[in-house]
Parts: sequence; C-alpha cells; structure tokens
Amino acid sequence: MLNQLARDVKASMSIYEAGEDQVYGVLAEFAHPGELLHAAEAVRKAGYRHYDTHSPFPIHGMDKAMGLGNSIVGWITLGGGITGLALATLMQWWMSAVDYPINISGKPFFAVEPSIPIMFELTVLLASLATAAGMFALNGLPRPYNPLFYSKNFLRVTDDAFFLHIAASDGRFSQEATTQMLRDLGASNVETIHDRGTEDED
Amino acid sequence: MSESVKRSNPLVWLIDPFKSTASHADPVYRFSWSQAAWLLPLAIGIAGLVISAVGWATDSHQFYFSYLIGWAFCLSVTLGAYFFVVIQHMTKARWSVVLRRIPETLIWSFPLLAVLSIPVILGMHDLYHWTHAELLDPASPEFDPIIAGKAAYLNTPFFLARLAFYFLVWTFISFKLYSLSLKQDVDPDGSIPKQQRKWSAIGLVLGGISTAFAGMDILMSLDPHWFSTIFGIYFFAGSFMVIMAVMALTAMILQRNGMLQGVIKVDHYQDLGKFLFGFTVFWAYIGFSQYMLIWYGNLPEETLFYRHRMEHGWETFSAILLVCHFIIPFVVLIGRWSKRLLPLLGFMCVWMITMHWFDYFWIAAPVLHGDHAVMSLYDVAAWLGLFGVFVGAFMYRLSRHPLVPQRDPRLAKSLSFTNS
Repeated sequence: MLNQLARDVKASMSIYEAGEDQVYGVLAEFAHPGELLHAAEAVRKAGYRHYDTHSPFPIHGMDKAMGLGNSIVGWITLGGGITGLALATLMQWWMSAVDYPINISGKPFFAVEPSIPIMFELTVLLASLATAAGMFALNGLPRPYNPLFYSKNFLRVTDDAFFLHIAASDGRFSQEATTQMLRDLGASNVETIHDRGTEDED
Repeated sequence: MSESVKRSNPLVWLIDPFKSTASHADPVYRFSWSQAAWLLPLAIGIAGLVISAVGWATDSHQFYFSYLIGWAFCLSVTLGAYFFVVIQHMTKARWSVVLRRIPETLIWSFPLLAVLSIPVILGMHDLYHWTHAELLDPASPEFDPIIAGKAAYLNTPFFLARLAFYFLVWTFISFKLYSLSLKQDVDPDGSIPKQQRKWSAIGLVLGGISTAFAGMDILMSLDPHWFSTIFGIYFFAGSFMVIMAVMALTAMILQRNGMLQGVIKVDHYQDLGKFLFGFTVFWAYIGFSQYMLIWYGNLPEETLFYRHRMEHGWETFSAILLVCHFIIPFVVLIGRWSKRLLPLLGFMCVWMITMHWFDYFWIAAPVLHGDHAVMSLYDVAAWLGLFGVFVGAFMYRLSRHPLVPQRDPRLAKSLSFTNS
C-alpha cells in the first residue's frame, strides 16, 4: 500500500521503477519537435501514463499534448505566502510590543502601518521559497541518476535530438507492441533501456 | 508620408490626423460595425455634458471639480495607452501586436483633451487655491507663507506653460507613433520598426518625466500645502492599470460585434488580466508607500491630506477605495481561471475603470467638500460626459483604419501566441 503510494508519487515526478529483467522502458527518437508533439499526443491517447518527453528546448503546446494540466505549485505558493504573513505579523507584534517595547516618538508599540512592509516582504520571501521548493519537489529535479543516461543516443538530447520515453512500469507497456507503436508514429530509432543501477558500464 | 496615408482636412485633424485607410484593411481586420459604435458613446457623452452645463450654471464650483476629475480620468487613460505603446516597441513585444492598434488609436486623444482642458483652465481660480493672489501678499491678512514659498513653481503662467509643454510632447510623440503604424499598414517599409523604437525611446523618457509632473500639477496641487514626491508614480500606476482594463474591454466589445474573430484569443486576454492584476497591486504598493511614509514622518503639512480623508464621512470613501480598488480585485484576479473567464474579466475591467475614476474623486473631491463627504450627481455626469465624448472620438478613429497593425513583422508571432 505505502510502497504503491511511493511509486505513484515518484511516477508523477517521472521517476519510474524498472520491470523484470531490468527493463526500464523504450526510448524513441524523433527528428523534429513537431513529430515529438504529435507522438506525445498519440501516446497519451493510446492510454499510456508513464511516459515523458525530452527535448533541447521547451516546445510550445507540449503540456497540452501530454495532458499535463495545471501545476499545483500555485497552492504551495499560497501556503508559503500565508505562512510568511502570519510569521511576520507575529514577529512584529512580539518584538515591538512584548519582548522589547521602545517608545519611538510617541507611536504605538505595535501598529499595522510600519509592520506592513515586513509582512509584505516575508510573504513574498516565503511564497517564492515555497514555489522553488515545491517546483523541485513536484518535478523530481535535480536527478543525477537516470537510466536513460545508459543510451549513447540520449546524450544528444541537450543538442539536437527529440526523445519520447515510455516506462516499463506503465500498465499498458509491452516491449514488442510499444516499440512497434513508436515506430508507426515515425520514430527514427527505438531502443530498449535497461536499468543497470549504478554498475559501471565499461 | 506615403502616398496612401494622407492628412485629413483641418476640421477632422483633431479627431483623426489621417484620411481613412479602412479600404486597405485585410477583411479580418476590418471595422465592420455600424456608426452606432461611435454615435452611441457620443450621445451619452453629450447628454452628460449637457447635465454638467446645468451644474456649471447652478454651482460652478462643484462643476469645475467634477469636470477636472473626469478630464484627469480621460487623460490618464490616454497616458496609459501612450506608455503601453512605447513599452511594446521598446521591448519588441510579440504577444501584444494584435492588441496594439487599440492603444495606438487612443493616444491621438491628446489634441481633443487639450481642447477639453479649457473649462479646467477657466476654473483654475475655483480649483487651485494657490492661484489666489492675496495668499502671496505679505501685507494681506490672507498671506500664506507656505504657498508664497512655492509661488516660483505654482503660479498661473508657469502652470499653463507646463501644461502646454506636456501636451505638445505627448501629441508630437503620439503623432509619430500613430502615423508610422498606419503607414506600415499600407506601405510596409522595413525601416518602420526601427523608427518606432527610436521615437518610443525618446517618448519613454519625455513621457515619464512629463507624466510625473502632470500628475503633481493637475491633482496634487489641488491641496497646495501638501506634497508627496511619490505622487507622480501614483498617477502613472493608476493610468497604466486602467489602460489594461480599457484595452481588454474594447477588444471584447469588438469581438462581440463580430470583429477580430480568432485574432485576439483568450491567451491575450489572460496577459492583459495579468497586467491588470499586477498594476492594481502596484497601485496599492505605491499608495501604501505614500501613506506609510507620511504616517511615520508625522509632519503636519503631509498628514493633513489623510486627515481630510479620514473624517466627516470621507473615511467611508477611503475604506471603499481600499477594499474595492485593491482587496476585491486582488482576490478575484489572482487566479489563472478568472483571467481566462472572459465574462468575469470583462466585469472586472468595468469595475477597475470605475474604481480608477473613484480614486481621482477621492483625491479631488475632499478638497472641495472638506467638512462633509458627498458625491454629487455632477461628478458622475461630467465623468460620463467626458468619457462618452472621448470614447466616441476613439471609436470613430478606430473605425477609419485597420483594427490591427496588419503588416507588423511580429504579427504572426502574436497571432500564434499561447500561454501554456
């Protein structure tokens, strides 16, 4: 139960577990970003869920093609913001009215007016930190180990190649049928990736 | 000037400096609405001004303030459009090209606004306390050393000269930007984007300085003892906020009447919504900065401004301003969904346009009615009157030319713009 939940959470970050015989999945290479976009859409429509696309630059419309929807990171931002606001209010009140009250030109020990800049800044600070942290938590980055790195071909992903990867953990995955489908979608090269752990290749 | 874009005759020049180029418009970018588009707002405007004329005859003091608020409102919409156009050229913006003709058309409102400033100038004695000569005379019992100390800047000839200078600058830059863009529609010369950038760079610097001073002259000097060095930015913040609402609303009205179908998309509206949200927050940020520093400094000359707005019923208006100009739009517009839900965005545009006028009302009206808060019928009549005439002239101008800068090299990028 808990293991399944952990697997689902990791899958949402595109971190998949290898199946039998260390098969991690298949990696298909496409010649153009447009082909990758169409392939991603077709793969989604075929019912696959454990797949990801890799390209040297962001492709407009890819989120829609992959059916990713809106990120929930905005809610994490809101949580961070509210926390910051509450902390700042508490801090301003406690420091200036309780812990160390000083009379400054007859002004109230605690007043909202001069506290708002601190409340605003802490809201922004915690909201932005929460956004960055939430973003990393949701997308599973940084990810120093990825079985896809075993593919020599995949090195070109930061240069001029476009890849689509379907994981073996997907319920619909079948090595032959999935490979065939990707070839039909126009992949120039489809290879099976094995998760060999951290064992040295050479 | 190219052969195909001709000067209009001198009578029309005030409304549109060029002959109609509508026949050159691509079918999708053609204005296909009837004359009701500009006749209707014009009729509302004239009705409002007729009511205002009654106000002038019966209570001229009230009329001048009501008129000033409405006039400053129209001026700030035009200035917002001016900054929007200039910034789009400076940043070589791609997303906004399909929308740009709306603010480009708006900026030619400066000549009309210059003519409409005549009642403000005639009413200066009622509006601006510093114009009273007895305040400057040390022998007079009315002598006011503070205002006398400001006389080198706050005096009628210099005020009028400054106003003339601002309008000359704004009209000149607007003429350059409007004519270059219209010329590009019919005769796409490759050098036009570069010229637009050049005039925008000059216009940004001149516009920034002149807008800050215009805000101080027209609105801040109503309360001549008071001063706030941030007021110019406050004036800019409001105008740059309201232009987003005006643009989105204009685009929605055009689309509802069958124009620009598939040209302006929900993604463009969402970006306008982001700016509307952002500059609503910016307005609040600047407004609060002004308030907080005055609160902290606690100098009598400065705190008086807020004192006036926190007693005799004005505290209600101040609370409405805070809640309706900031808190409600902040909560409504923060989400992605509300900026893409066009009926809601359209409602918020009307809301913010109204609140922007209310902001100027809140600045000006307590100067007149310091001892009891009141909103006069003439305030609303003068606002709707001026805004109606302003919108009528704008729609008329819009109908005479293509609705989109149809030969802009970045138009294709704007048409295919998405927000995902």
